[in-house]
Amino acid sequence: MIHRVDARGLACPQPVINATKALETNDSINVIVDNVTALENIRRLGKSKGCTVTDEKKSDGIYIVLEKKGTHESASESDHEALFSCSSSGSIVLVISQEVMGKGDDSLGGILMKSFFHTLAETDPSPDTIIFLNSGVKLVVDGSEILEDIKNLEKKGKKIFACGTCLDFFNIKDKLMAGSVSNMYEIKELMLSASSTINL
Amino acid sequence: MIVQKTYHVVLFQSVNQTMWADKILREIKFQHKLVPVPRHISSDCGVCLRISSDQVKEVREALTGVEGFIEIVPL
Repeated sequence: MIHRVDARGLACPQPVINATKALETNDSINVIVDNVTALENIRRLGKSKGCTVTDEKKSDGIYIVLEKKGTHESASESDHEALFSCSSSGSIVLVISQEVMGKGDDSLGGILMKSFFHTLAETDPSPDTIIFLNSGVKLVVDGSEILEDIKNLEKKGKKIFACGTCLDFFNIKDKLMAGSVSNMYEIKELMLSASSTINL
Repeated sequence: MIVQKTYHVVLFQSVNQTMWADKILREIKFQHKLVPVPRHISSDCGVCLRISSDQVKEVREALTGVEGFIEIVPL
Protein backbone atom coordinates (compact mmCIF):
# COMPACT_ATOMS: atom_id res chain seq x y z
CA MET A 1 0.00 0.00 0.00
CA ILE A 2 1.29 3.47 -0.89
CA HIS A 3 2.63 5.43 2.06
CA ARG A 4 0.46 8.39 2.95
CA VAL A 5 1.66 11.76 4.27
CA ASP A 6 -1.17 13.94 5.50
CA ALA A 7 0.22 17.48 5.44
CA ARG A 8 -3.09 19.33 5.61
CA GLY A 9 -3.07 22.19 8.07
CA LEU A 10 0.72 22.22 8.33
CA ALA A 11 2.60 25.46 7.85
CA CYS A 12 5.28 25.78 5.21
CA PRO A 13 7.88 24.19 4.98
CA GLN A 14 6.60 21.31 7.13
CA PRO A 15 4.80 19.49 4.25
CA VAL A 16 8.09 19.33 2.30
CA ILE A 17 10.02 18.14 5.36
CA ASN A 18 7.50 15.37 6.07
CA ALA A 19 7.42 14.29 2.43
CA THR A 20 11.24 14.26 2.23
CA LYS A 21 11.43 11.97 5.28
CA ALA A 22 8.79 9.66 3.81
CA LEU A 23 10.67 9.42 0.50
CA GLU A 24 13.77 8.22 2.34
CA THR A 25 12.06 4.94 3.22
CA ASN A 26 9.40 4.59 0.49
CA ASP A 27 9.53 4.34 -3.30
CA SER A 28 6.18 6.02 -3.69
CA ILE A 29 4.20 8.29 -1.41
CA ASN A 30 0.85 10.04 -1.45
CA VAL A 31 1.03 13.53 0.04
CA ILE A 32 -2.17 15.37 0.91
CA VAL A 33 -1.97 19.15 1.16
CA ASP A 34 -4.53 21.93 1.43
CA ASN A 35 -2.99 24.80 -0.48
CA VAL A 36 -1.40 25.58 -3.83
CA THR A 37 1.91 26.73 -2.36
CA ALA A 38 2.40 23.36 -0.67
CA LEU A 39 1.43 21.62 -3.94
CA GLU A 40 4.09 23.56 -5.85
CA ASN A 41 6.70 22.82 -3.20
CA ILE A 42 5.94 19.09 -3.22
CA ARG A 43 6.11 19.09 -7.02
CA ARG A 44 9.56 20.67 -6.86
CA LEU A 45 10.64 18.14 -4.27
CA GLY A 46 9.44 15.30 -6.49
CA LYS A 47 11.33 16.63 -9.51
CA SER A 48 14.50 17.11 -7.49
CA LYS A 49 14.30 13.50 -6.30
CA GLY A 50 13.71 12.16 -9.82
CA CYS A 51 10.09 11.15 -9.13
CA THR A 52 7.08 11.19 -11.39
CA VAL A 53 4.56 13.59 -9.91
CA THR A 54 0.81 13.43 -10.38
CA ASP A 55 -1.81 15.35 -8.48
CA GLU A 56 -5.55 15.37 -8.09
CA LYS A 57 -7.71 18.01 -6.44
CA LYS A 58 -10.43 16.55 -4.24
CA SER A 59 -12.97 18.17 -1.96
CA ASP A 60 -10.89 17.47 1.13
CA GLY A 61 -7.45 18.35 -0.23
CA ILE A 62 -4.93 18.04 -3.03
CA TYR A 63 -3.58 14.49 -3.38
CA ILE A 64 -0.09 14.28 -4.82
CA VAL A 65 1.56 10.99 -5.74
CA LEU A 66 5.36 10.91 -5.94
CA GLU A 67 6.84 7.77 -7.47
CA LYS A 68 10.55 7.16 -7.74
CA LYS A 69 11.65 6.31 -11.28
CA GLY A 70 13.79 3.25 -11.94
CA THR A 71 16.88 5.34 -12.31
CA HIS A 72 17.51 8.68 -10.74
CA GLU A 73 17.79 11.50 -13.20
CA SER A 74 20.48 13.53 -11.65
CA ALA A 75 21.36 17.10 -12.42
CA SER A 76 18.06 17.79 -14.11
CA GLU A 77 17.04 21.39 -14.67
CA SER A 78 14.84 21.25 -11.62
CA ASP A 79 17.86 20.63 -9.42
CA HIS A 80 18.77 24.22 -9.96
CA GLU A 81 15.47 25.49 -8.66
CA ALA A 82 14.99 26.35 -5.03
CA LEU A 83 13.54 23.28 -3.37
CA PHE A 84 10.64 25.15 -1.89
CA SER A 85 9.28 28.60 -1.43
CA CYS A 86 7.02 29.56 1.42
CA SER A 87 5.70 32.61 -0.30
CA SER A 88 2.43 32.10 -2.07
CA SER A 89 1.18 34.15 -4.94
CA GLY A 90 -0.95 35.95 -2.36
CA SER A 91 -1.37 39.60 -1.66
CA ILE A 92 1.33 42.24 -1.52
CA VAL A 93 0.84 44.98 1.06
CA LEU A 94 2.62 48.29 0.79
CA VAL A 95 2.93 50.36 3.96
CA ILE A 96 3.60 54.07 3.54
CA SER A 97 4.63 55.42 6.93
CA GLN A 98 5.76 58.90 5.94
CA GLU A 99 4.83 61.49 3.35
CA VAL A 100 8.25 61.43 1.72
CA MET A 101 10.27 58.57 0.29
CA GLY A 102 13.50 57.78 2.06
CA LYS A 103 15.54 59.74 4.58
CA GLY A 104 17.81 62.65 3.86
CA ASP A 105 16.21 65.58 2.11
CA ASP A 106 12.44 66.04 2.34
CA SER A 107 12.16 68.00 -0.90
CA LEU A 108 13.85 65.17 -2.74
CA GLY A 109 11.79 62.65 -0.75
CA GLY A 110 8.59 64.37 -1.89
CA ILE A 111 9.67 64.19 -5.52
CA LEU A 112 10.58 60.51 -5.15
CA MET A 113 7.20 59.70 -3.59
CA LYS A 114 5.38 61.44 -6.47
CA SER A 115 7.51 59.61 -8.98
CA PHE A 116 6.96 56.29 -7.18
CA PHE A 117 3.17 56.59 -7.07
CA HIS A 118 3.00 57.65 -10.70
CA THR A 119 4.92 54.49 -11.59
CA LEU A 120 2.75 52.34 -9.33
CA ALA A 121 -0.42 53.64 -10.95
CA GLU A 122 0.84 53.33 -14.51
CA THR A 123 2.71 50.03 -14.54
CA ASP A 124 2.22 46.44 -13.40
CA PRO A 125 2.59 44.83 -10.98
CA SER A 126 1.23 46.99 -8.21
CA PRO A 127 0.43 46.06 -4.61
CA ASP A 128 -2.99 44.70 -3.70
CA THR A 129 -3.26 46.86 -0.61
CA ILE A 130 -1.68 50.15 0.41
CA ILE A 131 -1.77 51.27 4.03
CA PHE A 132 -0.94 54.87 4.92
CA LEU A 133 0.38 55.47 8.44
CA ASN A 134 1.76 58.33 10.50
CA SER A 135 2.51 61.36 8.25
CA GLY A 136 1.89 59.07 5.26
CA VAL A 137 -1.85 59.78 5.74
CA LYS A 138 -1.23 63.29 4.41
CA LEU A 139 -0.93 61.67 0.99
CA VAL A 140 -4.57 60.55 0.91
CA VAL A 141 -6.21 63.80 1.94
CA ASP A 142 -7.34 66.89 0.09
CA GLY A 143 -4.36 68.78 -1.30
CA SER A 144 -2.14 65.74 -1.76
CA GLU A 145 -0.24 65.91 -5.01
CA ILE A 146 -0.45 62.16 -5.58
CA LEU A 147 -4.19 61.86 -4.99
CA GLU A 148 -4.88 61.27 -8.68
CA ASP A 149 -2.49 58.29 -8.74
CA ILE A 150 -3.96 56.85 -5.55
CA LYS A 151 -7.48 57.18 -6.95
CA ASN A 152 -6.35 55.43 -10.14
CA LEU A 153 -4.96 52.56 -8.08
CA GLU A 154 -8.28 52.39 -6.23
CA LYS A 155 -10.15 52.25 -9.56
CA LYS A 156 -7.97 49.28 -10.52
CA GLY A 157 -9.30 47.45 -7.46
CA LYS A 158 -6.41 48.09 -5.12
CA LYS A 159 -7.42 48.53 -1.48
CA ILE A 160 -6.38 51.78 0.14
CA PHE A 161 -6.44 52.27 3.90
CA ALA A 162 -5.53 55.23 6.06
CA CYS A 163 -4.79 54.91 9.77
CA GLY A 164 -7.64 56.56 11.67
CA THR A 165 -5.50 57.46 14.68
CA CYS A 166 -3.04 59.22 12.39
CA LEU A 167 -5.74 61.18 10.53
CA ASP A 168 -7.10 62.19 13.90
CA PHE A 169 -3.67 63.23 15.20
CA PHE A 170 -3.08 65.53 12.23
CA ASN A 171 -6.71 66.71 12.42
CA ILE A 172 -7.39 65.83 8.79
CA LYS A 173 -9.98 63.07 9.16
CA ASP A 174 -12.62 65.14 7.36
CA LYS A 175 -10.29 65.69 4.41
CA LEU A 176 -9.85 62.06 3.42
CA MET A 177 -10.21 61.82 -0.36
CA ALA A 178 -9.17 58.24 -1.18
CA GLY A 179 -9.55 54.86 0.45
CA SER A 180 -11.13 54.25 3.80
CA VAL A 181 -10.29 54.79 7.45
CA SER A 182 -8.80 51.77 9.13
CA ASN A 183 -7.76 50.75 12.61
CA MET A 184 -4.79 48.86 14.00
CA TYR A 185 -6.65 45.53 14.16
CA GLU A 186 -7.32 45.62 10.46
CA ILE A 187 -3.85 46.94 9.66
CA LYS A 188 -2.24 44.16 11.68
CA GLU A 189 -4.37 41.51 9.95
CA LEU A 190 -3.61 42.90 6.50
CA MET A 191 0.12 42.97 7.18
CA LEU A 192 0.33 39.51 8.70
CA SER A 193 -1.91 37.79 6.17
CA ALA A 194 0.03 39.19 3.22
CA SER A 195 2.53 37.06 1.35
CA SER A 196 4.76 40.10 1.28
CA THR A 197 4.71 43.41 3.17
CA ILE A 198 6.82 46.28 1.90
CA ASN A 199 7.43 49.13 4.32
CA LEU A 200 8.40 52.56 3.01
CA MET B 1 -15.09 58.27 -30.08
CA ILE B 2 -12.59 58.42 -27.24
CA VAL B 3 -9.58 60.53 -28.11
CA GLN B 4 -6.42 59.29 -26.40
CA LYS B 5 -4.67 62.18 -24.71
CA THR B 6 -1.06 62.50 -25.74
CA TYR B 7 1.78 63.81 -23.64
CA HIS B 8 5.24 65.28 -23.93
CA VAL B 9 7.94 65.31 -21.28
CA VAL B 10 10.17 68.21 -20.38
CA LEU B 11 13.74 67.14 -19.68
CA PHE B 12 16.32 68.87 -17.50
CA GLN B 13 19.97 68.29 -16.73
CA SER B 14 19.43 67.59 -13.04
CA VAL B 15 16.75 66.79 -10.49
CA ASN B 16 17.26 70.19 -8.83
CA GLN B 17 16.58 71.96 -12.08
CA THR B 18 13.47 69.84 -12.62
CA MET B 19 12.26 70.82 -9.15
CA TRP B 20 12.92 74.46 -9.92
CA ALA B 21 10.97 74.26 -13.20
CA ASP B 22 8.18 72.43 -11.39
CA LYS B 23 7.96 75.40 -9.02
CA ILE B 24 7.90 77.92 -11.89
CA LEU B 25 5.09 76.09 -13.66
CA ARG B 26 3.16 75.77 -10.42
CA GLU B 27 3.38 79.49 -9.82
CA ILE B 28 1.71 80.17 -13.14
CA LYS B 29 -0.91 77.48 -12.26
CA PHE B 30 0.20 75.21 -15.06
CA GLN B 31 -1.29 71.70 -15.32
CA HIS B 32 1.62 69.30 -15.35
CA LYS B 33 2.87 66.25 -13.51
CA LEU B 34 6.26 65.28 -12.17
CA VAL B 35 7.03 61.73 -13.38
CA PRO B 36 10.06 59.44 -13.69
CA VAL B 37 12.00 59.87 -16.92
CA PRO B 38 10.58 57.17 -19.25
CA ARG B 39 12.92 54.24 -19.75
CA HIS B 40 13.00 54.66 -23.53
CA ILE B 41 14.42 58.15 -23.07
CA SER B 42 16.96 57.49 -20.34
CA SER B 43 17.94 54.63 -18.09
CA ASP B 44 18.88 57.12 -15.38
CA CYS B 45 16.78 57.33 -12.26
CA GLY B 46 15.69 60.82 -13.17
CA VAL B 47 12.50 62.83 -13.03
CA CYS B 48 10.90 65.06 -15.61
CA LEU B 49 7.71 67.03 -16.13
CA ARG B 50 4.86 65.50 -18.11
CA ILE B 51 2.72 67.98 -20.00
CA SER B 52 -0.15 67.70 -22.41
CA SER B 53 1.06 67.68 -26.01
CA ASP B 54 -1.04 70.73 -26.84
CA GLN B 55 0.89 72.77 -24.26
CA VAL B 56 4.38 72.33 -25.68
CA LYS B 57 4.64 75.85 -27.10
CA GLU B 58 3.37 77.46 -23.92
CA VAL B 59 5.76 75.50 -21.70
CA ARG B 60 8.71 76.19 -23.98
CA GLU B 61 8.03 79.91 -23.64
CA ALA B 62 7.64 79.68 -19.86
CA LEU B 63 10.90 77.78 -19.46
CA THR B 64 13.03 79.70 -21.91
CA GLY B 65 16.19 80.74 -20.12
CA VAL B 66 15.65 78.36 -17.19
CA GLU B 67 18.95 76.76 -16.33
CA GLY B 68 19.30 73.08 -17.20
CA PHE B 69 16.33 72.94 -19.58
CA ILE B 70 17.23 70.37 -22.24
CA GLU B 71 14.29 69.59 -24.46
CA ILE B 72 10.60 68.76 -24.72
CA VAL B 73 10.06 65.38 -26.34
CA PRO B 74 7.00 63.23 -27.09
CA LEU B 75 6.22 60.58 -24.51
